[in-house]
Amino acid sequence: MDGTYDEIVSENPFFLELKNEYANLFQHCLSESWIICVPRIGSLTSRVFTVEDFCAHLLVPSDELPETHFNTLTEKQVTVMNKVITVEVSKGLPLQSHILFEETFYTEDFMKYKVWCIESPLEPTKTTDDAVVSKEYLSGINDCIDLLWTQAAGRQVLDNIEQNVETFLKKHSNLPVAIGPLRDTVSELYTQCLQVTLQNRRLRDKSKSCKQVLENIKLSVESYMQHLLFDSIFKSICTSCAYEDAHLNKKIRNMCDIQLRDLDIKKDLYHTVPKAKQILSKIDTYNTVLEKLVCLKQALNSINKIDSSNNVVLLTADDLLPVFVFLVIKSGLPNWFSQLTYMKEFRFSSAGKCDGDESAFLITTLEAVIGHIQSGALTGPPDPEAYYYYESNLTEENLSCKQRKSSLTESISTSDTYNKEENLEYIFELIKANQCEQVQTILQKNQKHLQNLQNNEDNVLKISLDDLSNDEDDDSDLEIYHKLCHPLCNCKKCKCKISKNLLKTCPTMTSRDSHGLTALHVASIHGKATIVETLLEMGSEINATDLNECSALHYASSRGHQNVLLLLLHSGANINQKNIDKNTPLHLAVNNGHLHCVKAIIYFAEHSGRKININCANESGNTPLHLASKWGYEGIARLLIEHGSEPSLQNSYHKTAFDYAHNLRILQVLKSCTPNLFEYIHITSSEVKKISCESEKPTSLKLQNLTLKCSDTNDALKTIENLKLIERILRAISYGDVKLACFYMNIDYSAFIAPDKEKRNSLCHPLCECQYCKRKTESCTDFDVNVCDSNGFTALHYAARYGLDEFCNILIFNRANVNCRNKKAQTPLHLAAINNKTVVIRLLLDNGANINAIDVARNTPLHDASETGNIGAAKILLSYNPDITLLNATEKTALAVAKDKVHLTIIDLIDNYANKYANT
Amino acid sequence: MTTTTGGARNFKVVLLGDGCVGKTSLLLRYIEDKFNEKHLTTLQATFLNKRLNINGNRVNLSIWDTAGQEKFHALGPIYYRNSNGAILVYDITDEDSFRKVKNWVKELKKMLGSDINLVIAGNKIDLEHERTVSLEEAESYAKLVGAKHYYTSAKLNQGVEELFLDLTREMLERQEHNTQTEVNRTSQVVVVDDEVPVQSTCCSGHRSS
Repeated sequence: MDGTYDEIVSENPFFLELKNEYANLFQHCLSESWIICVPRIGSLTSRVFTVEDFCAHLLVPSDELPETHFNTLTEKQVTVMNKVITVEVSKGLPLQSHILFEETFYTEDFMKYKVWCIESPLEPTKTTDDAVVSKEYLSGINDCIDLLWTQAAGRQVLDNIEQNVETFLKKHSNLPVAIGPLRDTVSELYTQCLQVTLQNRRLRDKSKSCKQVLENIKLSVESYMQHLLFDSIFKSICTSCAYEDAHLNKKIRNMCDIQLRDLDIKKDLYHTVPKAKQILSKIDTYNTVLEKLVCLKQALNSINKIDSSNNVVLLTADDLLPVFVFLVIKSGLPNWFSQLTYMKEFRFSSAGKCDGDESAFLITTLEAVIGHIQSGALTGPPDPEAYYYYESNLTEENLSCKQRKSSLTESISTSDTYNKEENLEYIFELIKANQCEQVQTILQKNQKHLQNLQNNEDNVLKISLDDLSNDEDDDSDLEIYHKLCHPLCNCKKCKCKISKNLLKTCPTMTSRDSHGLTALHVASIHGKATIVETLLEMGSEINATDLNECSALHYASSRGHQNVLLLLLHSGANINQKNIDKNTPLHLAVNNGHLHCVKAIIYFAEHSGRKININCANESGNTPLHLASKWGYEGIARLLIEHGSEPSLQNSYHKTAFDYAHNLRILQVLKSCTPNLFEYIHITSSEVKKISCESEKPTSLKLQNLTLKCSDTNDALKTIENLKLIERILRAISYGDVKLACFYMNIDYSAFIAPDKEKRNSLCHPLCECQYCKRKTESCTDFDVNVCDSNGFTALHYAARYGLDEFCNILIFNRANVNCRNKKAQTPLHLAAINNKTVVIRLLLDNGANINAIDVARNTPLHDASETGNIGAAKILLSYNPDITLLNATEKTALAVAKDKVHLTIIDLIDNYANKYANT
Repeated sequence: MTTTTGGARNFKVVLLGDGCVGKTSLLLRYIEDKFNEKHLTTLQATFLNKRLNINGNRVNLSIWDTAGQEKFHALGPIYYRNSNGAILVYDITDEDSFRKVKNWVKELKKMLGSDINLVIAGNKIDLEHERTVSLEEAESYAKLVGAKHYYTSAKLNQGVEELFLDLTREMLERQEHNTQTEVNRTSQVVVVDDEVPVQSTCCSGHRSS
């Protein structure tokens, strides 16, 4: 990007001749600290120079404006503006030349002089038409293509690069996800592309003559390659940065209402922020590192300030960094970390160069900003807007100090000074400092005061009498009347006191600040559970909303206070309340990445039976899943999917959650939305029925089950609901979470945890109808425990596979079919045998499982046990008299299978059994 | 870290110091030779380049300004990694800023060892009458940690050029020394007595070459 021209000035013939042949002039120049202009090496036509030539290139600063105005030794006026030298010529247009760079020379004896390397000589006759390529400044992909095209005089180089990239993509259909290997493979491709490019004769010749051209070619090749490759590699980068991105997003989301002043940004920079933000947020639309860097630079350059006299004032790092932090937070980009990684790791053309150049600086700045956000040093605005200006560091300690002080002043002074307690802000601060009791007393007192006033609006005196007689403990109200000359006094002074009491604005639970926040809101914002509880007990309006129509529940979920959230939910807060942007509390919890709050909301809704619309759209049509996908919260996305979120819904911009997923991991989670279910959405119910009618084979078990479920063939949706439920049940089982599985299946788990386990486990006899056994059967669920998933697995299959004997028991009591088969025609017994779950095997066999059941491969459970070498399983199976003569699909008995696998103990066991069998 | 492109060495120099000690003014004074902020071609003074030619050694200085606020202190390592030199600036009228310099020195020594050349600059000597950091203290500290100490005034243009020039010379020397030892190392000749005397007091453990 900073393709600045470079040449070794001390080897420039012009300079050498001046130094060697005109030493006197040169020395004079040094002592006067004149500026020496040296035309760049390619611009010189002749190698013969006269004194006039040199004199025309020595600049003497003028007396008044030494910075911008000069005279040459040939008495011509020279001005310098914006790195352009303008020489006044007697005739015609003034002569102009760019200053390519300035070099400060120090001689051995500490003499200092400046040399300006300029684009063309400062003499009209000596200008050349040598094509200037050196100062070419690449600022975008178009410049790069242009350079490769024009310099090579044809499309050939571009085509070659394209070809290389194509073969590369074919070869690496699965790019490595880890950054290191990815970088290395792409770097290899870059080398290839560069080689191909430099095979072009024109480019090679040009790059040999000027180092700058080579640098530009390198950069162009890199950029063009990135341009072609971007879509493929950026997904991989995002995937490897998924965790960091999600972490960063959570941090950013939680401080999204941060204001400029929170970051100590100078006021005179405010006006530049919108534009800079606009520029910066476009960074993800660029494909190449070059363009991203240019974008960064532009954004930084657009932050400037103008002083009173309309001059641009320089910005320092002190000012700049906070603004940049703000821009990154507000940009709304979901993958800053990936962007940074891309820029950092994929700058091949500058590899090996010093990392002190400007690009490195820009990247470092971005890295610093991201590091700063990630470090958590920023915590967003800690307080709601209302009492921002009331900033005081009221910690627990100095609160007690203040308390002491205030109680002191209270006792001494009369109440004609405004009491602190009358300040809503003070209460909010107490809440913040978690001073539960104090908040309670103040609010109660104020409440009472208010009631009194309301009850006796007309007759103030009556209050005083009432108060005197009844309300002994209400100090503050009472105090006033004690201070009157006498209870019925009517003098000016007393009247004044009474009216002051009336005017007293005492905040109560219903009081709101300028943003409509009540005490409950504030307590929820700061996550003070005890105070929330107290306020609710005192009768705070639980669904009260502020100016943004946010309820306390919204704040609790957006700030991630799970305890407060649950407290509010249990107290009957509206779980589906929408704020001004139509966000539900679930939206906010997801947006800010609070997994535990999302869980709390979903599980609470599930347990309490309150309907929660998980696919609810907000103002811009985003469902919670859209947000989780956009910010890369993998855990939350998975949870939402499990609970029925639909990834194919479109928001107002016609984008689905899939469109927002910027890394493969999230995409995987979204796709895992049970692909089998996904298909069913598109199958109409009639089709389902048709399939089931045609197929009688056990493989269509699933479909049969489906039609069974939606017997009235109406909505496929219900079927999907069911299938999802089954998925969930089976997953719960595979985690060994029996309680949850029971809950899903509507089985009363507690009924099975009888005081004496022994009794429960052994029914009197299978068909017993005694009282105890009857109670058990009564507690049976109306849920069909024999439902199966897409592979024909029932809950019992899973329980057998994972060896959950207790749960097997429960299922069997709930009329689970012990001989049901999955798609491979395996019974639970097969699975238990394969997984060596001895207790379950015994249990199944005791409950009527068929010991000689055969699966698709005609294996009996004993075959399976022999195959896997599960001694325990084989022992038990053999004790239940299996038929060992049965052959499987490969015409082998269990014994033969065991011999094949050389499971000696099992061979012994079967042999013994065979002998015993033969004997009897 | 340093590379030579076209005969020029690239050196990265970071400016560290508390906020308001005048880091940026120093930088501007040096680069544009101006204290007055007008007529500048750059909008930001956070990154600037300067080409030098010292006795025929071409040097390309990249000078990085850093944010001085305390809350950004943790970002230091991101900025100063791979730098060849650091200029630690304090305000002679502000004792606190001198303490910050000490912190920086400690940190740099710990993180980069002796791979970096340090100079300490006491800025704002135009405010001599308000001085709170004593001359002896500052100089003896600088000597202790093996850094050169300069008094500068960006306003009066005092000491700024010397500061940068000497730092550049030191970096050049160090680099030559390093390449020399590297050559020696490859030829398996161990040179022990050839150390640069400037940084020999502290952290000599790092420099066993």
